[in-house]
Amino acid sequence: MKRKTRICALLMTLLLGIGTLSGCGSKPQESNTPGTTPEGDSTPVTDGGGEADTPDISKEVTLTMYLIGDRPVDNDEVFAKINEKLKAEINAVIDVKFMSWGEYEQKYPLIFASGEDWDIIYTADWCFYNAQATKQGFWEITQEALETYAPMTAETIYPEAWEQAKVNGQVFMLPMNYKEITSYVYMARGDLMDKYDIASVASLDEAEAYMDAIVANESTLIPLDVGSDYDKLFVFDRMWEKANWESQEKVNSIGTWQAMGSVSELDDTALVKGNYDQAEFQGVIERLKDWKDRGFWSKNAVVNTQNNTESFQAGKSALALCNVNTAKSIYAQMSEEHPEWDVRVFDAQEGVPPVLNSYLANGMSIFSKSKNPERALMALDYLRNDVEINNLFCYGIEGKHWEASGDNTLVSLPDSANYAYDGNCNWGVRNDASWRVVEGGIPGLEALNDLWRESARSKRYQTFVFDDTNVKNEIAAITEIFNTDYKLLGLGFTDDPAGDIAKLKEKMVTAGADTVYSEMQKQAQEFLSASGN
Amino acid sequence: MKKKEHLFLKDLKNNRVKWLMILPAAIVVILMCYIPMSGIVLAFKEFNYHDGIFGSPWVGVKNFAYFFQSGKAWTVTRNTVLYNIAFLCVNTFLQITCAILLSELAGKWFKRISQSVMFLPYFISWVVVGAFIYNMFNYEFGAVNGFLRSVGMEPLDVYSNKAAWPVILIVVSAFKNVGYGTVMYLASIVNIDGEMFEAADLDGATMWQKIRHITLPCIRPTVVILLLMAIGTIMKGDFQMFWQVTGNNPMVMEVTDVIDTYVTRSLLDLQEFGMTSAAGLYQSGLSFILVLIANFAVKKVEPDYALF
Repeated sequence: MKRKTRICALLMTLLLGIGTLSGCGSKPQESNTPGTTPEGDSTPVTDGGGEADTPDISKEVTLTMYLIGDRPVDNDEVFAKINEKLKAEINAVIDVKFMSWGEYEQKYPLIFASGEDWDIIYTADWCFYNAQATKQGFWEITQEALETYAPMTAETIYPEAWEQAKVNGQVFMLPMNYKEITSYVYMARGDLMDKYDIASVASLDEAEAYMDAIVANESTLIPLDVGSDYDKLFVFDRMWEKANWESQEKVNSIGTWQAMGSVSELDDTALVKGNYDQAEFQGVIERLKDWKDRGFWSKNAVVNTQNNTESFQAGKSALALCNVNTAKSIYAQMSEEHPEWDVRVFDAQEGVPPVLNSYLANGMSIFSKSKNPERALMALDYLRNDVEINNLFCYGIEGKHWEASGDNTLVSLPDSANYAYDGNCNWGVRNDASWRVVEGGIPGLEALNDLWRESARSKRYQTFVFDDTNVKNEIAAITEIFNTDYKLLGLGFTDDPAGDIAKLKEKMVTAGADTVYSEMQKQAQEFLSASGN
Repeated sequence: MKKKEHLFLKDLKNNRVKWLMILPAAIVVILMCYIPMSGIVLAFKEFNYHDGIFGSPWVGVKNFAYFFQSGKAWTVTRNTVLYNIAFLCVNTFLQITCAILLSELAGKWFKRISQSVMFLPYFISWVVVGAFIYNMFNYEFGAVNGFLRSVGMEPLDVYSNKAAWPVILIVVSAFKNVGYGTVMYLASIVNIDGEMFEAADLDGATMWQKIRHITLPCIRPTVVILLLMAIGTIMKGDFQMFWQVTGNNPMVMEVTDVIDTYVTRSLLDLQEFGMTSAAGLYQSGLSFILVLIANFAVKKVEPDYALF
């Protein structure tokens, strides 16, 4: 008996040994391969780049492209047309995959780690660009590669956009070639507004009155169904930005948003504090608590998986808060499907200047383990710059989803419900050169646009990128707090705002927030002296 | 050494059928347990996609710091252990009770049917159970609250009530697992020698006495072995259950967050593979120690029942 167990033990150790060895033996080879690929890739560039400008496209490839959102009904039809042309030009076709807004925060990082074979992905400064770039998730786009494989882009890309895209001196993204303003709007149900005699929903106070009427009279509707990953802080942001804009200090956020840091724009020493230490914070949280208590959003809002625009479209809620691009892309469809709702759009900025986005607010990147990064870059070149392909991607098929009505305007046709204007995660390839605005979309939008354009500004720390190498552990601990305690406060889930803010602060200090903020301040000062503003 | 090798070869030859029988299981264990274990190195590395698991740079034990710095280590460890002890006690008790009740029941059809009905929830996915719970307890439109409103009572706000969740979790765990365990205990009850019961009947023993003095002692080995196996997983929260049933709800996380959900959540939020592997390794280390202690304790009391 004893001997047998000893033999067994011996056998197990042996197997264990083999297991570990085989684990060690096979993997380094694997890890070598990606290590050598970029070098292998760059050789043809230097070899062929000098004399022949035409890269080798003899082999047909299928490029897999990940976008965020729900698959538009006519997506395949549109991409069939795009592919037809791409096939002719660069002998490649694109296969599009979507991940929904409800879960992109979870799926996005996973596809990098999953070992799946894909090539192109939508990215943005708010959508993992820095995180994945520093983990070498993206293929580096060198100046050389750009000139060789994306000559049209090399010519047209705004130099400042190219500069902004640099992470530690390397570029991993082709930012959109488009000057964009982000401003928020409310979308309300006209039928309900008339019923309860609400004239306008263009401010927090008016929204409050409207939602009060809904709570009192429409028990089957949730007034504003926020709370998902995507829009958990939408209402907080509106209130917070307004309070700060109207205050003396002009406090604004800085650095990684999960770090909850903010700084007064007037302060040249760039003293970074936690939001919870800013004067306006408590007032905002108290108002959010009041709204939550009055039932403006669900008591289960924190477990929401559907965002507020989706709920609004589905007729489950009476108000939506979204950025104007989202509003534009669903307005036509909603008016088509539910004319009786009489959807109306109102300015939600309330005098707060909209943000002139950095170019990184939308862009496209190539996966570092893509098998055909060069071809992917060529495809992106066409998606961005070829007017026909760019229009297809951005607005759908001409004559079916839209038709031109001027040099840079278009009219949405009824079929655009199946491929909405600028609503297909095409934002990364937007190009001012071929851009068209919708004529006769949302009534009054033109006036609003003018107003916004006049007041739009870049924030002082808009292009500041925080390098978290020295404070990784602190950021990790803080992100956990951001996703739990901070999210709850941001949705007004607290019985004692002052007490819970104090608790939040205490947790943040334990997690090392002070170290993070002083590191942030140091980098912000460097940023200020480097950029000279 | 030579002699040992010789003996081993001889054993291999003599008992080749037995060795052959163990082969498939051994292969599965090696493929699924031992080879992936080399991934442990991630806990000591700063992972990047480019260099992969084995090529990324070493960072020592830095990854472990975040787990303790976040102030969560104690909460999630406590929750994991307490929940598992609660599940273990409640489920084992219910499983044994149900098994004995079923074995004492006379009606063959009733017995079969109730056994199947009890077993059924085992096959329902946790995602579905999570949807059940949401549709029952959702504040605005949930079934329970709908009922309470219709009889004029105040609706319950379950999703922000910390006290409710331990109860809900224990109940759904029992709902899913009691049927499965019942069948195992039932099998061991059926195996008890019928002559003992006949002898007891002749001596005029009551049903309660028979259960107390024959059934329970006879199924003790099964109980001990199942308990021992369960102790090995006491540090492993049933991830699916905690994740799906609570809907990853930050409001009650203080009482529902277990190591597994914490690790998954941080992985999704941070994409720091090294840090989350470190937390996972911490969990496995504790599990390993627990199994050793439990086995040691059993060996002291009942040497025959120890696993190794």
